[in-house]
Amino acid sequence: MIGIIINGAILGAIFSLIAVGLNLQYGVTRILNIAHGEFLMLGSYITYIFFTLYGVNPLVSLVISGPIVFILGILIQIVVFRKLVHVSRSAEELESRSLLACFGLTFIIQNVVAEIFRGTPIISAPYLNVSTDILGEPVPLNMIVVAVMSVIISLVMYLVLRFTSIGLAMRATVEEPAGAQLVGINIFKIHAVSFGIGALLAALAGSMLVMIYSNITPYIGPQYTFIALAVIILGGMGSFIGSLVGGFLIGYVYYASLTIDALITLAVVYSFLIILLIIRPKGLFGR
Amino acid sequence: MLRGKGLNLTKTRTRLIVLIALILVILAFAPYFLSLYYLSILRNLLMWLALSISWHFFSGSTKYISLGSAAFFGIGIYFTAKYLQLSNAGDFPVLPLPVIVLLAGLVNFALALVIGLVTLRLRGIYFAILTFSVSMVISNVIQWWEITITGTRGTYFPLFDFQTAYYAIFACTIVTLLLTTLLRRSKFGLALKMIGESEEAAVHVGVNASFIKTLGFAISAMLIGFMGGCFTTRLSGYVNSDIAFNSLYNFMPAVMTLLGGAGTVYGPIIGSTTMSLLSEYLRVALSHYFLIILGVILIAIVIFMPDGIMGMVEKIKTTKLFRSKSAKAPEKPP
Repeated sequence: MIGIIINGAILGAIFSLIAVGLNLQYGVTRILNIAHGEFLMLGSYITYIFFTLYGVNPLVSLVISGPIVFILGILIQIVVFRKLVHVSRSAEELESRSLLACFGLTFIIQNVVAEIFRGTPIISAPYLNVSTDILGEPVPLNMIVVAVMSVIISLVMYLVLRFTSIGLAMRATVEEPAGAQLVGINIFKIHAVSFGIGALLAALAGSMLVMIYSNITPYIGPQYTFIALAVIILGGMGSFIGSLVGGFLIGYVYYASLTIDALITLAVVYSFLIILLIIRPKGLFGR
Repeated sequence: MLRGKGLNLTKTRTRLIVLIALILVILAFAPYFLSLYYLSILRNLLMWLALSISWHFFSGSTKYISLGSAAFFGIGIYFTAKYLQLSNAGDFPVLPLPVIVLLAGLVNFALALVIGLVTLRLRGIYFAILTFSVSMVISNVIQWWEITITGTRGTYFPLFDFQTAYYAIFACTIVTLLLTTLLRRSKFGLALKMIGESEEAAVHVGVNASFIKTLGFAISAMLIGFMGGCFTTRLSGYVNSDIAFNSLYNFMPAVMTLLGGAGTVYGPIIGSTTMSLLSEYLRVALSHYFLIILGVILIAIVIFMPDGIMGMVEKIKTTKLFRSKSAKAPEKPP
């Protein structure tokens, strides 16, 4: 029982972090970034490169992988999505077009990485792989570190949104895009920055996942994208608290089903999502 | 003027009918003059074409984007494969392939009615994710069932020859085209389209929106299931949940239709043809770089022709029309 509580919380913390990024992107830019998991995978690979080539501590490499992917995210937003917003006449149109563009992005990122790392199909950067005891339950130390870091990063993100001027501008853009422009917010800049931050959060999660798991491949992105999607839909699109709560809920459901039967995990998570959506179509915290 | 226009219309119409007949004849006799490689390309093209059209029939007209086509495609495959396996073993009566495929479609129809009743209350991205989730759940449950309950992964069934596979898929494509064309022109099709334009308005003029939506979704699922059943003949005697419920089938119909231009008659046809030929060409020409280039092309298309290929064609037509008019105008003597 204690095992489920602890491990579920660890998974929940990671899922929340991944979902917060996706939610920020969707909330501000109205673009559902199906390629979100690919940014996560990029984070893993950057950490792996620095770990194997220069022996950089994976935790330290967060400050490398984060900014790199942040800049990449901003560039992609400017080159691809800004143009899409211009040519789309309605939110529906933008949604379907960005879906297409995100597909393209997924293909490109996955296969460029797969091409570069053709010699090493599976990577890992094991770090702090020692077992510790929490209330008599053996848990790997790196999992705890990752969970704590994830919570800290999510909290920092929350504080940024809540108390800084750029956070205020982002929230204004979520609430009322036209009104935000009227009061002098450059929403194009805000869109780019939000997209970049979303990518950055994914990359940070990816950088940390590579310390825990030894099954990272170039094609690992979509599975995290889908978990993040489940989380933000469960919590409610555009709701920060929703992402956190949804992340932990999905984390617990995921871990509980994992302990029962690892093969049925996905079905359980998605059935859970379907049932909740039918009961509450806008998610737990959606407006 | 009017007469001239009418004449012109019948003329283009006869031309169109002749063109379609010609294409049909070529497709029908393709196995006699095409090599196996080109025949397999054609067969895949027809499959994607039928899937895109079935997808477009519901999602294109109502604008409820479904990302769950793989569920229906996979069930079509699984039902057919399982039936073939069991009838081969003597547990079930032996039926001709079209009947099995028909049954597979009907199973999908019933399933989609249930799914539609529950999920079609949701719009936009929520509906998309829900349909996607349904396909994930079905695929995962089948995989789990096979591994933990029956202990065998996948299903083996008797093999079909190349020609049967081609003609099964060809026939299924024709049925799909005919059925969707007829339905689109009926009152039912108009109602679907109206729901896409404005659901509230449709409800106000007396369209039973939830009934029409659910039925449309079920018909689209049935057609996808037909293609799944026919596609079974193409698999080499073995199928498992990863093959049948591949996520590609969830996304590709949508991607191809959007590429061709959603909401137009020819959009899904042109989109699926372009996409399958292009990806085949790139796969051969560039080997493992092909997905990267495909991604670049997808993004370029979205940016430079956001309304798809058909949208681009329309745009060129209208600009030409205006240009020729404005060019003619100054020539007139005052």
